[in-house]
Amino acid sequence: MSKEFEDLKEALRKPATPEAMREAAQRFREYERVKRLSGKPGSKPTLVSLGFRKDYPTQIDVRDIPREMETNPAFFEQMRKIVGEE
Amino acid sequence: MLALPLHDLPTRSASGFLIRHVVPRAEPPQLVGPLDRKALFSTLSAGDAIIGVGHGDPARFSGYRDQVLIDLSSIPDVRGKVVVLISCQTARQLGPALINAGADSYIGFLEDLVWVMDAESASTPWADKFAAPAMMPIVNCVNTILDGKVTADAFVVLTNELMRNAAVEEEDELIAACLRFNAKNASLLGNPMARVKARPKVAFPLPPPPLFPYLA
Repeated sequence: MSKEFEDLKEALRKPATPEAMREAAQRFREYERVKRLSGKPGSKPTLVSLGFRKDYPTQIDVRDIPREMETNPAFFEQMRKIVGEE
Repeated sequence: MLALPLHDLPTRSASGFLIRHVVPRAEPPQLVGPLDRKALFSTLSAGDAIIGVGHGDPARFSGYRDQVLIDLSSIPDVRGKVVVLISCQTARQLGPALINAGADSYIGFLEDLVWVMDAESASTPWADKFAAPAMMPIVNCVNTILDGKVTADAFVVLTNELMRNAAVEEEDELIAACLRFNAKNASLLGNPMARVKARPKVAFPLPPPPLFPYLA
Protein backbone atom coordinates (compact mmCIF):
# COMPACT_ATOMS: atom_id res chain seq x y z
CA MET A 1 0.00 0.00 0.00
CA SER A 2 1.34 3.43 -0.90
CA LYS A 3 2.43 5.85 1.80
CA GLU A 4 -0.08 8.40 0.49
CA PHE A 5 -2.99 5.98 0.96
CA GLU A 6 -1.75 4.95 4.41
CA ASP A 7 -1.64 8.64 5.36
CA LEU A 8 -5.19 9.10 4.05
CA LYS A 9 -6.42 6.13 6.09
CA GLU A 10 -4.75 7.51 9.19
CA ALA A 11 -6.34 10.94 8.67
CA LEU A 12 -9.77 9.38 8.21
CA ARG A 13 -9.56 7.59 11.55
CA LYS A 14 -9.76 10.87 13.47
CA PRO A 15 -13.07 12.34 14.70
CA ALA A 16 -14.78 14.58 12.14
CA THR A 17 -13.51 17.94 13.38
CA PRO A 18 -12.91 20.76 10.86
CA GLU A 19 -9.18 20.29 11.34
CA ALA A 20 -9.35 16.52 10.73
CA MET A 21 -11.55 17.05 7.66
CA ARG A 22 -9.05 19.54 6.23
CA GLU A 23 -6.20 17.15 6.90
CA ALA A 24 -8.01 14.22 5.26
CA ALA A 25 -8.79 16.39 2.24
CA GLN A 26 -5.13 17.29 1.92
CA ARG A 27 -4.11 13.64 2.22
CA PHE A 28 -6.55 12.71 -0.52
CA ARG A 29 -5.10 15.44 -2.80
CA GLU A 30 -1.64 14.00 -2.25
CA TYR A 31 -2.87 10.47 -2.94
CA GLU A 32 -4.64 11.66 -6.08
CA ARG A 33 -1.57 13.61 -7.24
CA VAL A 34 0.56 10.47 -7.04
CA LYS A 35 -2.02 8.03 -8.41
CA ARG A 36 -3.36 10.41 -11.07
CA LEU A 37 -6.60 8.45 -11.27
CA SER A 38 -8.40 11.51 -12.60
CA GLY A 39 -5.60 12.18 -15.06
CA LYS A 40 -6.13 9.09 -17.19
CA PRO A 41 -6.82 10.38 -20.69
CA GLY A 42 -10.42 10.29 -21.90
CA SER A 43 -11.85 9.27 -18.56
CA LYS A 44 -13.69 10.93 -15.70
CA PRO A 45 -13.48 8.68 -12.63
CA THR A 46 -16.46 9.24 -10.38
CA LEU A 47 -17.17 7.73 -6.98
CA VAL A 48 -20.79 6.56 -6.92
CA SER A 49 -23.15 4.79 -4.58
CA LEU A 50 -26.77 3.63 -4.59
CA GLY A 51 -27.71 5.41 -1.37
CA PHE A 52 -31.20 6.89 -1.13
CA ARG A 53 -31.58 10.61 -0.26
CA LYS A 54 -28.24 10.86 1.48
CA ASP A 55 -26.62 13.88 3.14
CA TYR A 56 -23.69 13.39 0.77
CA PRO A 57 -23.50 13.10 -3.02
CA THR A 58 -24.09 9.68 -4.54
CA GLN A 59 -22.00 10.64 -7.56
CA ILE A 60 -18.90 12.75 -7.20
CA ASP A 61 -15.98 13.37 -9.53
CA VAL A 62 -12.85 11.96 -7.87
CA ARG A 63 -11.24 15.41 -8.20
CA ASP A 64 -14.01 16.90 -6.04
CA ILE A 65 -13.67 14.37 -3.20
CA PRO A 66 -11.24 16.53 -1.16
CA ARG A 67 -13.52 19.56 -1.26
CA GLU A 68 -16.50 17.45 -0.15
CA MET A 69 -14.49 15.76 2.61
CA GLU A 70 -13.42 19.17 3.83
CA THR A 71 -16.92 20.64 4.04
CA ASN A 72 -19.35 17.76 4.58
CA PRO A 73 -19.06 15.73 7.81
CA ALA A 74 -21.47 13.08 6.44
CA PHE A 75 -19.21 12.49 3.44
CA PHE A 76 -16.14 12.42 5.71
CA GLU A 77 -17.86 9.70 7.76
CA GLN A 78 -18.71 7.78 4.62
CA MET A 79 -15.09 7.91 3.44
CA ARG A 80 -14.01 6.82 6.91
CA LYS A 81 -16.22 3.73 6.61
CA ILE A 82 -14.86 2.86 3.17
CA VAL A 83 -11.19 3.71 3.63
CA GLY A 84 -10.45 4.48 7.29
CA GLU A 85 -12.00 1.39 8.85
CA GLU A 86 -10.34 -1.12 6.55
CA MET B 1 -38.53 -9.48 -12.90
CA LEU B 2 -35.74 -7.05 -13.64
CA ALA B 3 -35.89 -3.44 -12.40
CA LEU B 4 -33.24 -1.31 -14.08
CA PRO B 5 -33.48 2.47 -13.71
CA LEU B 6 -31.13 4.66 -15.74
CA HIS B 7 -31.68 8.16 -14.42
CA ASP B 8 -28.28 8.99 -12.93
CA LEU B 9 -24.68 7.80 -13.10
CA PRO B 10 -24.82 5.02 -10.47
CA THR B 11 -28.08 3.54 -11.81
CA ARG B 12 -26.75 3.75 -15.37
CA SER B 13 -23.55 2.02 -14.40
CA ALA B 14 -25.15 -0.85 -12.49
CA SER B 15 -28.15 -1.26 -14.81
CA GLY B 16 -25.86 -1.02 -17.83
CA PHE B 17 -23.88 -4.09 -16.79
CA LEU B 18 -27.10 -6.04 -16.26
CA ILE B 19 -28.48 -4.87 -19.62
CA ARG B 20 -25.35 -6.22 -21.30
CA HIS B 21 -24.94 -9.48 -19.38
CA VAL B 22 -28.28 -10.47 -17.82
CA VAL B 23 -31.23 -9.02 -19.78
CA PRO B 24 -30.75 -11.29 -22.82
CA ARG B 25 -31.34 -14.42 -20.73
CA ALA B 26 -34.05 -13.14 -18.39
CA GLU B 27 -37.67 -13.34 -19.45
CA PRO B 28 -40.10 -10.40 -19.04
CA PRO B 29 -41.11 -8.35 -17.20
CA GLN B 30 -38.07 -6.14 -17.59
CA LEU B 31 -38.65 -2.64 -16.28
CA VAL B 32 -35.87 -0.60 -17.90
CA GLY B 33 -35.42 3.18 -17.55
CA PRO B 34 -38.72 5.10 -17.22
CA LEU B 35 -40.70 1.81 -17.09
CA ASP B 36 -39.17 1.10 -13.69
CA ARG B 37 -41.97 2.76 -11.74
CA LYS B 38 -44.18 1.87 -8.80
CA ALA B 39 -47.41 1.52 -10.78
CA LEU B 40 -45.91 -1.25 -12.94
CA PHE B 41 -43.64 -2.83 -10.38
CA SER B 42 -46.34 -3.48 -7.81
CA THR B 43 -48.79 -5.05 -10.23
CA LEU B 44 -46.38 -7.57 -11.74
CA SER B 45 -45.85 -10.76 -9.81
CA ALA B 46 -44.77 -13.21 -12.52
CA GLY B 47 -41.53 -15.12 -12.30
CA ASP B 48 -39.45 -16.69 -9.59
CA ALA B 49 -36.89 -13.92 -9.13
CA ILE B 50 -36.79 -10.18 -8.52
CA ILE B 51 -33.50 -8.59 -9.52
CA GLY B 52 -33.41 -4.86 -8.97
CA VAL B 53 -30.97 -1.98 -9.27
CA GLY B 54 -31.92 1.19 -7.44
CA HIS B 55 -31.14 3.65 -4.70
CA GLY B 56 -31.97 2.30 -1.28
CA ASP B 57 -31.75 2.70 2.46
CA PRO B 58 -32.45 0.28 5.31
CA ALA B 59 -36.21 0.38 4.77
CA ARG B 60 -36.70 1.41 1.12
CA PHE B 61 -35.76 0.37 -2.39
CA SER B 62 -36.41 2.79 -5.23
CA GLY B 63 -36.72 2.80 -9.00
CA TYR B 64 -36.73 5.34 -11.80
CA ARG B 65 -36.12 8.84 -10.48
CA ASP B 66 -36.10 7.44 -6.95
CA GLN B 67 -39.78 6.45 -6.79
CA VAL B 68 -40.05 4.08 -3.85
CA LEU B 69 -40.85 0.61 -5.22
CA ILE B 70 -40.65 -1.40 -1.99
CA ASP B 71 -40.71 -0.26 1.59
CA LEU B 72 -41.51 -1.89 4.87
CA SER B 73 -45.20 -0.97 4.59
CA SER B 74 -45.68 -2.03 0.96
CA ILE B 75 -43.98 -5.29 0.16
CA PRO B 76 -45.09 -6.95 -3.07
CA ASP B 77 -45.89 -10.65 -3.39
CA VAL B 78 -42.45 -12.20 -2.98
CA ARG B 79 -43.55 -15.65 -1.79
CA GLY B 80 -41.14 -18.31 -2.99
CA LYS B 81 -38.99 -15.83 -4.92
CA VAL B 82 -35.28 -15.15 -4.89
CA VAL B 83 -34.66 -11.41 -4.47
CA VAL B 84 -31.41 -9.61 -5.33
CA LEU B 85 -31.32 -5.88 -4.54
CA ILE B 86 -28.32 -4.09 -6.04
CA SER B 87 -28.72 -1.15 -3.74
CA CYS B 88 -27.56 0.36 -0.45
CA GLN B 89 -28.29 -0.86 3.08
CA THR B 90 -31.45 -2.85 2.28
CA ALA B 91 -30.02 -5.89 4.12
CA ARG B 92 -30.56 -4.10 7.42
CA GLN B 93 -34.38 -4.05 7.48
CA LEU B 94 -35.91 -4.56 4.05
CA GLY B 95 -34.11 -7.84 3.36
CA PRO B 96 -35.32 -9.43 6.62
CA ALA B 97 -38.82 -8.05 5.93
CA LEU B 98 -38.81 -9.67 2.47
CA ILE B 99 -37.85 -13.00 4.02
CA ASN B 100 -40.62 -12.59 6.61
CA ALA B 101 -43.03 -11.91 3.75
CA GLY B 102 -42.16 -15.26 2.21
CA ALA B 103 -39.21 -14.61 -0.08
CA ASP B 104 -37.13 -17.75 -0.34
CA SER B 105 -33.77 -16.01 -0.35
CA TYR B 106 -32.37 -12.46 -0.50
CA ILE B 107 -28.99 -11.03 -1.49
CA GLY B 108 -28.17 -7.38 -0.81
CA PHE B 109 -25.88 -5.08 1.14
CA LEU B 110 -25.73 -3.86 4.75
CA GLU B 111 -23.93 -0.64 3.89
CA ASP B 112 -23.67 1.60 0.85
CA LEU B 113 -22.78 -0.16 -2.38
CA VAL B 114 -19.90 2.02 -3.62
CA TRP B 115 -17.66 1.90 -6.64
CA VAL B 116 -15.63 4.06 -9.02
CA MET B 117 -17.07 4.45 -12.51
CA ASP B 118 -16.09 6.45 -15.57
CA ALA B 119 -18.63 9.19 -16.20
CA GLU B 120 -17.40 9.33 -19.80
CA SER B 121 -18.83 5.80 -20.29
CA ALA B 122 -22.38 6.76 -19.33
CA SER B 123 -23.72 5.88 -22.80
CA THR B 124 -21.97 2.49 -22.89
CA PRO B 125 -21.71 1.66 -19.19
CA TRP B 126 -21.02 -2.04 -19.86
CA ALA B 127 -17.65 -1.01 -21.34
CA ASP B 128 -16.56 0.92 -18.26
CA LYS B 129 -13.20 -0.46 -17.10
CA PHE B 130 -13.31 1.42 -13.80
CA ALA B 131 -16.71 -0.06 -12.85
CA ALA B 132 -16.13 -3.60 -14.12
CA PRO B 133 -14.23 -4.87 -11.04
CA ALA B 134 -17.28 -3.99 -8.89
CA MET B 135 -20.05 -4.78 -11.34
CA MET B 136 -18.90 -8.03 -12.93
CA PRO B 137 -19.01 -9.93 -9.59
CA ILE B 138 -22.63 -8.77 -9.26
CA VAL B 139 -23.38 -9.83 -12.84
CA ASN B 140 -21.77 -13.20 -12.23
CA CYS B 141 -23.71 -13.63 -8.98
CA VAL B 142 -26.99 -12.98 -10.80
CA ASN B 143 -26.03 -15.25 -13.67
CA THR B 144 -25.16 -18.01 -11.20
CA ILE B 145 -28.72 -17.72 -9.89
CA LEU B 146 -30.08 -17.79 -13.46
CA ASP B 147 -27.97 -20.91 -14.09
CA GLY B 148 -30.25 -22.60 -11.55
CA LYS B 149 -27.62 -22.85 -8.83
CA VAL B 150 -28.40 -22.22 -5.17
CA THR B 151 -28.12 -18.71 -3.78
CA ALA B 152 -25.31 -19.79 -1.44
CA ASP B 153 -23.21 -20.53 -4.54
CA ALA B 154 -24.15 -17.17 -6.07
CA PHE B 155 -23.20 -15.38 -2.86
CA VAL B 156 -19.79 -17.07 -2.83
CA VAL B 157 -19.27 -15.95 -6.43
CA LEU B 158 -20.13 -12.37 -5.43
CA THR B 159 -17.87 -12.10 -2.40
CA ASN B 160 -14.97 -14.14 -3.79
CA GLU B 161 -14.85 -12.17 -7.04
CA LEU B 162 -15.03 -8.83 -5.23
CA MET B 163 -12.10 -9.83 -3.02
CA ARG B 164 -10.15 -11.28 -5.93
CA ASN B 165 -10.64 -8.08 -7.92
CA ALA B 166 -9.58 -6.03 -4.90
CA ALA B 167 -6.28 -7.92 -4.90
CA VAL B 168 -5.86 -7.32 -8.64
CA GLU B 169 -6.73 -3.62 -8.26
CA GLU B 170 -4.21 -3.06 -5.45
CA GLU B 171 -2.50 -0.51 -7.70
CA ASP B 172 -5.51 1.73 -7.28
CA GLU B 173 -6.20 1.65 -3.58
CA LEU B 174 -9.45 3.63 -3.68
CA ILE B 175 -11.04 1.14 -6.09
CA ALA B 176 -9.68 -1.76 -4.03
CA ALA B 177 -11.05 -0.26 -0.79
CA CYS B 178 -14.51 0.05 -2.36
CA LEU B 179 -14.40 -3.59 -3.50
CA ARG B 180 -13.40 -4.86 -0.05
CA PHE B 181 -16.08 -2.65 1.55
CA ASN B 182 -18.77 -4.14 -0.72
CA ALA B 183 -17.58 -7.70 -0.09
CA LYS B 184 -17.60 -7.14 3.66
CA ASN B 185 -21.15 -5.78 3.58
CA ALA B 186 -22.73 -8.27 1.20
CA SER B 187 -25.51 -10.23 2.86
CA LEU B 188 -27.39 -13.44 2.12
CA LEU B 189 -30.63 -14.01 4.03
CA GLY B 190 -33.24 -16.75 4.00
CA ASN B 191 -32.72 -20.18 2.54
CA PRO B 192 -29.18 -20.53 1.12
CA MET B 193 -30.32 -23.60 -0.82
CA ALA B 194 -33.00 -21.61 -2.70
CA ARG B 195 -32.83 -21.72 -6.47
CA VAL B 196 -34.83 -20.60 -9.49
CA LYS B 197 -35.43 -22.48 -12.70
CA ALA B 198 -32.35 -22.51 -14.90
CA ARG B 199 -32.42 -20.18 -17.90
CA PRO B 200 -30.54 -21.06 -21.08
CA LYS B 201 -27.07 -19.60 -21.31
CA VAL B 202 -26.72 -16.95 -23.99
CA ALA B 203 -23.55 -15.96 -25.82
CA PHE B 204 -23.07 -12.23 -26.07
CA PRO B 205 -21.36 -11.61 -29.42
CA LEU B 206 -22.44 -7.98 -29.76
CA PRO B 207 -22.86 -5.28 -27.14
CA PRO B 208 -26.20 -3.47 -27.09
CA PRO B 209 -26.53 -0.06 -28.79
CA PRO B 210 -25.48 2.94 -26.70
CA LEU B 211 -27.98 4.23 -24.18
CA PHE B 212 -29.52 7.65 -24.77
CA PRO B 213 -27.02 10.32 -23.68
CA TYR B 214 -26.70 11.11 -20.01
CA LEU B 215 -27.79 14.66 -19.17
CA ALA B 216 -26.66 15.65 -15.70
